[in-house]
Amino acid sequence: MSIQTPEKSAAPAGVWSALKELPSNVWSSVFRNPVPSTDLERASTSFTNFFLHIHPVKVNRNTLRPGYTLGLGLISLFLFFILVATGILLMFYYVPSTSQAYDRMLDLRGTVAFGIFLRNMHRWSAHGMVAMVFLHMCRVFLTGSYKKPREFNWVIGVLLLLVTLFLSFTGYLLPWDQLAFWAITVGTSIAGYAPLIGKQMQFVLLGDTTVGQEALLRFYVLHVAVLPAVLVTLVGIHFWRIRKDGGLSRPEEAPKLKAAPVVVKTRIYGLQGFVRGPFTKVGNTPEDSVFSWPNLLMAELFVFVLTVSLILVVSLMFNAPLEQPVNVMHPPNPAKAPWYFLGLQEMVSYSAFWGGIGIPGIMVALLLVVPYIDRGTQGVGRWFARERLLANTLFLTLVTLNIIFIIIGTFFRGPNWSFVSPF
Amino acid sequence: MRLPLAIASFVVLIVHGVVFYEQFFHRWERHQTAYFEQARSMAQNPAEKAALEARSPQIEQVIVTNFGDTRVDRCTTCHLAADDPRFANMGSPLKTHSYSAAMGDVFRNGHWERRHKFSDFGCTVCHDGQGRGLDNFHSHGEDEFWPDPLLGYVTQTTWRKDFAPHLKGEEYMEANCAQCHTQEDFAGTPTVNRGRKLFYGMNCYGCHKIDGMSEGTLGPDLTEAGKKFKVDYLWESVVEPRANLATSFMPKFNLPEADVRALVIFLKSRRGVNFAETSLDRYKAHVANVAVVIPPGTANEKAGEQLLNDRACTACHKLHDKDGGIAPDLTYEGMIRDNEWLTDHFKNPRSRIPDSIMPSFRFPVEDFDRLSTYLASLKTPPPAMPPAETYKTLCERCHGEKGDGNGKVAWYIDPSPRDFTKEGFMNSKPRARFVESIKSGVPGTSMPPWGRILGAEQIDGTLAYVLQKFTKEPGKEPKPRNVPDKNPVATSAASITHGEQLFLQRCTGCHGRKADGKGPNSLDILPHPRNLRNTAFVDTTTDRRFFESILYGVQGTAMPAWIDYGFSRNDVGDILNFIRSINVQKPRSQQYASK
Repeated sequence: MSIQTPEKSAAPAGVWSALKELPSNVWSSVFRNPVPSTDLERASTSFTNFFLHIHPVKVNRNTLRPGYTLGLGLISLFLFFILVATGILLMFYYVPSTSQAYDRMLDLRGTVAFGIFLRNMHRWSAHGMVAMVFLHMCRVFLTGSYKKPREFNWVIGVLLLLVTLFLSFTGYLLPWDQLAFWAITVGTSIAGYAPLIGKQMQFVLLGDTTVGQEALLRFYVLHVAVLPAVLVTLVGIHFWRIRKDGGLSRPEEAPKLKAAPVVVKTRIYGLQGFVRGPFTKVGNTPEDSVFSWPNLLMAELFVFVLTVSLILVVSLMFNAPLEQPVNVMHPPNPAKAPWYFLGLQEMVSYSAFWGGIGIPGIMVALLLVVPYIDRGTQGVGRWFARERLLANTLFLTLVTLNIIFIIIGTFFRGPNWSFVSPF
Repeated sequence: MRLPLAIASFVVLIVHGVVFYEQFFHRWERHQTAYFEQARSMAQNPAEKAALEARSPQIEQVIVTNFGDTRVDRCTTCHLAADDPRFANMGSPLKTHSYSAAMGDVFRNGHWERRHKFSDFGCTVCHDGQGRGLDNFHSHGEDEFWPDPLLGYVTQTTWRKDFAPHLKGEEYMEANCAQCHTQEDFAGTPTVNRGRKLFYGMNCYGCHKIDGMSEGTLGPDLTEAGKKFKVDYLWESVVEPRANLATSFMPKFNLPEADVRALVIFLKSRRGVNFAETSLDRYKAHVANVAVVIPPGTANEKAGEQLLNDRACTACHKLHDKDGGIAPDLTYEGMIRDNEWLTDHFKNPRSRIPDSIMPSFRFPVEDFDRLSTYLASLKTPPPAMPPAETYKTLCERCHGEKGDGNGKVAWYIDPSPRDFTKEGFMNSKPRARFVESIKSGVPGTSMPPWGRILGAEQIDGTLAYVLQKFTKEPGKEPKPRNVPDKNPVATSAASITHGEQLFLQRCTGCHGRKADGKGPNSLDILPHPRNLRNTAFVDTTTDRRFFESILYGVQGTAMPAWIDYGFSRNDVGDILNFIRSINVQKPRSQQYASK
């Protein structure tokens, strides 16, 4: 459905007029549309632009309610963009070698133009992304959005959370300071508690029995090549499925129009009849929809600017930590994993297997199967729907427990993992 | 929507401005500009002036590869005038680095020539600090995470406030001089030399190892102390040994401040492999300092005395007026222990006291003989004293002033000295047993046979004093329990197997799976459970006592009465056979010692 720009023919064709029209010709060849002023052009703009065609032409008003999505998924995406941009720049300076990595950090901090700022942005965005992806998952659960037909997209989302965690974890080692070394030592030894294949898994991850040059190289490759590729692929599927699953979830609304159904079961009109599954019901939704251009795009731009400005301010105010160079003989006491694994580490301090593998494994398994177990159709698209009281309560309990464990592990654990008061 | 968008965009803009400003206007550029201006005004000819005009601020660095890992020292980015003699009277950072004839700088043809050229040595080789940094905070090592702050100039904020003033001064840099100038009497490092002498003189070497210099095993290895620890930590460890580890038994030496500083600087110079020293050099230093030169023909007795002093025995033990406060008194050692015991114990202390912490020193056998002879020559028995005085002189060091088994050295002794305040225990044992313990000692423990220097009356008096003074309710003589004198179960493979099964089921929680008294519960129990592999003890303990202790428990300790748990006499007999069976063979240490 591409819309041709009307020919302004009358003028004689010639080099001069071609030159005169050059800017507008280039513009229209690239963007195809003028800045939209009619609904047709608005639709066309979204539809014919490579970067915009990921959006539907029209979106439901509910999708644009800030209080519904909180923009968490978008924030995660934009943080990922920042991470890719700053990460590529950092790659120009970084060497994954135990003898050079730390010196490169010092150079980034002291000598490279914008070096410390790049590192700060990368670090804080990474932490932010872990938090935002997690909160995004909470939002999706608490609004019941994983229900049919979005079950599989929820599963992709859980995988994305795991990949995000692993990305952040692999990046944690790269500065090669004490913080990195011991956090990864703790983190990978938690993996070693897995039954049967635990030790082998740890060995494959580290390329050695301890964290060293091999581990640094492996974590680097995972961090800059393998995991981003996996993440981008999964994000692609995630977004594609949003469209194919009928857009973001929203409450069931009372049909305001009693229009004739577009697809009649008994008779087939044209190709649309072959399309199975949900699709936009043209007849009874126009009141609730608005054009993506400019409504959705403005909302996205706003979230983007907000995310970037927050990250910039935080990066300006707080420097990414860089502790002393690795000293294998001198572990800090206590040696702590990255904060998002401190809940695990806290549980590991009670039971190595259950805390490190058993309970987290069960949690992830539960998350993966929850849309296939919770088959009720009520309460979709509303926060804390009364019909989903049980599911939400269970979920919130587990989330709160995890957060409490993380807080205890972060602030209340001192030397020898003994209880200390941070006050 | 548009207004917040505009505001947010504005924030982004402002932040970018700040970032750009920070990234492009450095303090070091201002220092360099100031230097160029100043130098221009001093320039003597137009060419020099023009050369200075042409210079613009840039990062200066010296790359040093002669000293271990490659160092990148960017210090001269700010300290641009370090090698420019005209800036001798300027303020920091644009100040000439001082010249010193003592450091080998030569005044020749009207100007100084450095012995240690910056282009060869860089800066951090001598000064420490972070060469790559370009701002004060990081390059001077004020960042608490930087392991090597500028020696003697920078104290980090996390350091103890009361030590910080002591940790400044240029003598601290001697620690780095000593990385190359390793000669023991090198004139440029007087403080390090003094520290090295103190390390031997104060007997530090008896407990601490410095690879090639000493071989102590009781304390931490100090070979790389200077690399691992900052001066603040070193100072604290010397002055307050227990500040970091409450259970440390390093003595508090109360050294004068100058000595502490010398020791700290000496320790700071210990960085494992340094730039000049070979292991042979260090071995020579060790030989020179540790070798006890005993003139030939010296009597063993005299030589033993010298050894005892040189080998730092009194860093732990007590002898005459020296007291390490960690190990038993040696004053009467030669009288209460015979020569065989002493020699065995020297060779391997655990051959006589299985749980002793005393290291097995690898001295030549003649030296052990000399030490034994010297100890044996101390033949002054304690004067006749009233019981209270006897207790104070002989018993208090272990059993404590309050008789609660918590004396000065009790912490280091295993099994722990008896707590006399537990009337449950004191009243359940016949008086004869206490007399016997005092008279003949308790084999396999640190309790010596006092009968060799105390008469029966003295022993009796002291025991009466102990019972009356410490035991809260000294009771009557207990009635003998109805237990067999001799194990009624004959030793057999079946009996031992059954005994082992019972032991593994019921006893390992406290006595441990190895029967060494170190089961999982043992840490929470005082007195600790008996080590049942202590052959000297087990062999000299009667069947009767085992039966009584197992069947009826040991009052005042955690040992319960197993008769309440359904143990029959035959069960106890099997267990006893099992315990005896694991003590039949002498441990290898004793086999060695008896040779």
